[in-house]
Amino acid sequence: MPQIKIYQEDHIPSPLSRIWSAFTDNPFAFAGLWAVCCLLLLALFGPLIAPYSPEHQDPLALLLAPSWEPTGTVEHFLGTDDLGRDIFSRLLHGAHLTFGMALAIVITALLLGFIIGSISGMMKGLKSSILSHLLDALLSIPSLLMAILVVAVTGPGLGNVFWAVGIALTPQFVRAIHQAVHEELQKEYVTAARLDGANSLQIFWYVILPNVMDTMIIQTTLGISAAILDIAALGFLNLGAQAPSPEWGAMVSQGLDNLLTAPWTVTIPGVAILCSVLAINLVGDGLRSALSPIRS
Amino acid sequence: MARYLIRRLNLFLATSLVLFLVMFIVTSKFPVEHTFALTGLQSPTSQELAQIESDYQLDSSQLHQFFAYLQQRLSGNLGISATSQNPVIDELTAVLPASFELGIVAGLIALVLGLPLGVLASLSKHKITQHTIMAITLTGYSIPVFWLGLSLSLWFGVQLGWLPISGQINLLYDIRPVSGFLLIDTLLSDSQYATSAFIDALLHIILPAVTLAVLPFTVVVRITRAAMIAIMEQTYIKAAEARGLHTSIIVLRHALPNAFIPVLKNLGLMLGAFASYAMVVEVIFSWPGVGAWLVSGIYQRDYTVIQGGILAVALIIIFLSILIEVIHTAMNPLSRKELYAAN
Amino acid sequence: MPLLDIRNLTIELDTPHGRVKALERVSLTLNPGEVHGLVGESGSGRTLLAKAILGIPGHNWTIQADRMMWDGQNLMDMSPSERRVLMGSEMAMIFQDPISSLDPAIAVGTQIIEAMPENKELPWWKRGSDKRKKAQQWLHKVGIKETQKIMSSYAWELSDGECQKVMIAIAVANQPRLLIADEPTNSMEVRTQAQIFRLLSKLNQLQNVSILLISHELETLSQWCDRLTVMYSGQVMESGVTSEVIANPYHPYTKALLDNIPDYSNPEHHKTMMQTLPGSAPALQHLPIGCRLGPRCPQAQKLCVNQPSLCHQKDRYFACHFPYHNEPCHEEPLTKS
Repeated sequence: MPQIKIYQEDHIPSPLSRIWSAFTDNPFAFAGLWAVCCLLLLALFGPLIAPYSPEHQDPLALLLAPSWEPTGTVEHFLGTDDLGRDIFSRLLHGAHLTFGMALAIVITALLLGFIIGSISGMMKGLKSSILSHLLDALLSIPSLLMAILVVAVTGPGLGNVFWAVGIALTPQFVRAIHQAVHEELQKEYVTAARLDGANSLQIFWYVILPNVMDTMIIQTTLGISAAILDIAALGFLNLGAQAPSPEWGAMVSQGLDNLLTAPWTVTIPGVAILCSVLAINLVGDGLRSALSPIRS
Repeated sequence: MARYLIRRLNLFLATSLVLFLVMFIVTSKFPVEHTFALTGLQSPTSQELAQIESDYQLDSSQLHQFFAYLQQRLSGNLGISATSQNPVIDELTAVLPASFELGIVAGLIALVLGLPLGVLASLSKHKITQHTIMAITLTGYSIPVFWLGLSLSLWFGVQLGWLPISGQINLLYDIRPVSGFLLIDTLLSDSQYATSAFIDALLHIILPAVTLAVLPFTVVVRITRAAMIAIMEQTYIKAAEARGLHTSIIVLRHALPNAFIPVLKNLGLMLGAFASYAMVVEVIFSWPGVGAWLVSGIYQRDYTVIQGGILAVALIIIFLSILIEVIHTAMNPLSRKELYAAN
Repeated sequence: MPLLDIRNLTIELDTPHGRVKALERVSLTLNPGEVHGLVGESGSGRTLLAKAILGIPGHNWTIQADRMMWDGQNLMDMSPSERRVLMGSEMAMIFQDPISSLDPAIAVGTQIIEAMPENKELPWWKRGSDKRKKAQQWLHKVGIKETQKIMSSYAWELSDGECQKVMIAIAVANQPRLLIADEPTNSMEVRTQAQIFRLLSKLNQLQNVSILLISHELETLSQWCDRLTVMYSGQVMESGVTSEVIANPYHPYTKALLDNIPDYSNPEHHKTMMQTLPGSAPALQHLPIGCRLGPRCPQAQKLCVNQPSLCHQKDRYFACHFPYHNEPCHEEPLTKS
């Protein structure tokens, strides 16, 4: 016999499912999430589906327009550049470089920032302020200047971009996490937990960590979009990825010579950067508004 | 308040010291002769070499070396540029005003347009208007600045031919530098072409300033909107409504000053990104500022230029961010409450 | 003629659980010059009612009413800007939390001066100092002695009581005919509470301001109010002259509230169980149909699933099918106030 419900079911959703339902209520954020998932797949498997290799030069198809132009062909869907390289394949290979590299940098910076930020946030007095202010000096060097500094020491190359952007991003993570932990520590439920006899480690793990999670998530999405833009800007300035590399920013700078005759060599990688950063920002924005009712 | 200012000053000094320390360590890591990295002299004579060693105390301990380095840099000795053989400090003072000019104009554009648009976005009841404004700002926030600059110059500079796309002013005009800001100098100049030179300088600054203004503009719109929406729900706004005040007075007198506080805070946090963007914009539009100078310095491996430029830019950013923090505290009575609590 | 006459006001809120009737067919009559108490638990819609009267609705509200007469004019027919003018001149409101009702970024004095009425007879350059003088006078009237110090302070530098006095000064400066006080003494010390209430009743006597006093404490209200209205969960339970309602409650809910007041006079009652209604007030998304007290009411019967209409009897109003008195209920004719 089916149970008869007298009252409407008073189902209280868990915080996670509440965030998820708030997130999916926003169609833009959800679209962004799909786009980010696609980007992730492309970064992993892009080279497998690319029709040509990134350095393959087709001498018969120099500066071919994209396929929707009257002069374009379907073989080179997004056209070719001045050496006859297929832009579509280069974009797919570049996703791995630009997007994958940004992810790697942010994960490293997040780990480092999490360790330093939470230690300095949990500590009090001089030690804490030394640790946090030491990195403030690094924070004042803009990411591009930091990259120039790294390049000046080690020379240009994609590997150095990792260090340059990483060193520029880490202080931001340290600062955000330090402040979040520090603010959380002032609240009364932490005092209550301490009065219950919890030691610092327990307080950090069970009391503070769940409450600084949202700051970390938001900071991560901000970090990824900043990292992509920085990597691309370095590639554009020829300080990061070097000439034949299909990194998106480098592709823009390689297309510069033909800006007037073949604008698509500049436009298409630019649109690719714009779309991926936009997708990440949409997800970040959606997450922020989904998390905000809990924060306030 | 005095105590607070002294603490901020302390912070400035300490951060600058750390910065110098970082630069000192990096200088010793440059892949060239240490003396060359310090002074920019390619092949110093034995006399000059002795001078360098005594100046930078190269045979003493690391600590002494650091203090000698600090002393040299603070007294304005940044070495000479390896490419042009001019003292770096002179080149720096020549390029700084152009960067400031660009930054100030871009910042003004962002604030003057961004604040009202943010307020409008927060007050608008139409879903479509709100979504449109948010979509535009999110796109502007995500756009790679070099690509935006290229597209703008392609459109307005090349295809439409409306605006010049490189440099600060047409080279035909000969303007005597007074303040270093070309917009002011052209007005001050007593030549008969002063007005046309001013208009020319104005036309030159439009594209780079607009390109650079996109990032702060979007940030200002978004923060203003978020702050306004939060504030309009506050009890004191409801109380002001209950007093029968007109909506425009409520917005201007009560909501906007409160909304400006988080905007100011975020402007301070944005300085670093803004400087990065400014460098790229200067390179694209051949703007004779610090950024373009630094980037050409790195292309030519001009280590003294790199050091000098980074030191100057970082010091300015540290100073400005602390200044913004002080203004923030002065403007926000609530943060003064925390000061009392701290003391 | 009553100053304010509301019939069957219904406010619906759009919540994530769908549209909810937060106020259901509320009627309220307020005569000029009286202090009217509005008692109810938190969440019973008292603040909603106050804001609806004043005309500062939230963004997810839908308001319906048979009539909302303010001194002969129907408030429902007025445009928002007309309501705003009315708010400034004839109605005023003070809020639960006085500190957050003052703008934190502006000195208190500026806000008081801003609210002072402009004397149109003076030349414009003298109006500023005139407003300032008036602000100081009003601060004196509400019992603040160091006017200079208060006016140059920020809201967070003052105590709750001082802020509430400032809010009262701002509210009465335009000489309104109705002052809505929404829990004006919430979370204040007893001494400050007494000061505020004394101030309000003095204003009522001297300036002839009608006051709608909202509180959850029946005891305090019974001390200061001429008439009482009891609300529960968005419905009016009972309304009448204070002394009669206290002495002889018709509605089970009023009686329950009165039973909740501890009786210290009779030593035999010491250590007996305090009388309370079973259960708790329903959440907004689970409102019962009919009389919302139904599930908790000791008198409830089958009929209670229909909402009882407000009965009128000798200056007493009550909404109950089975009231604590035996005379039959006459349906209230709508024309009579």
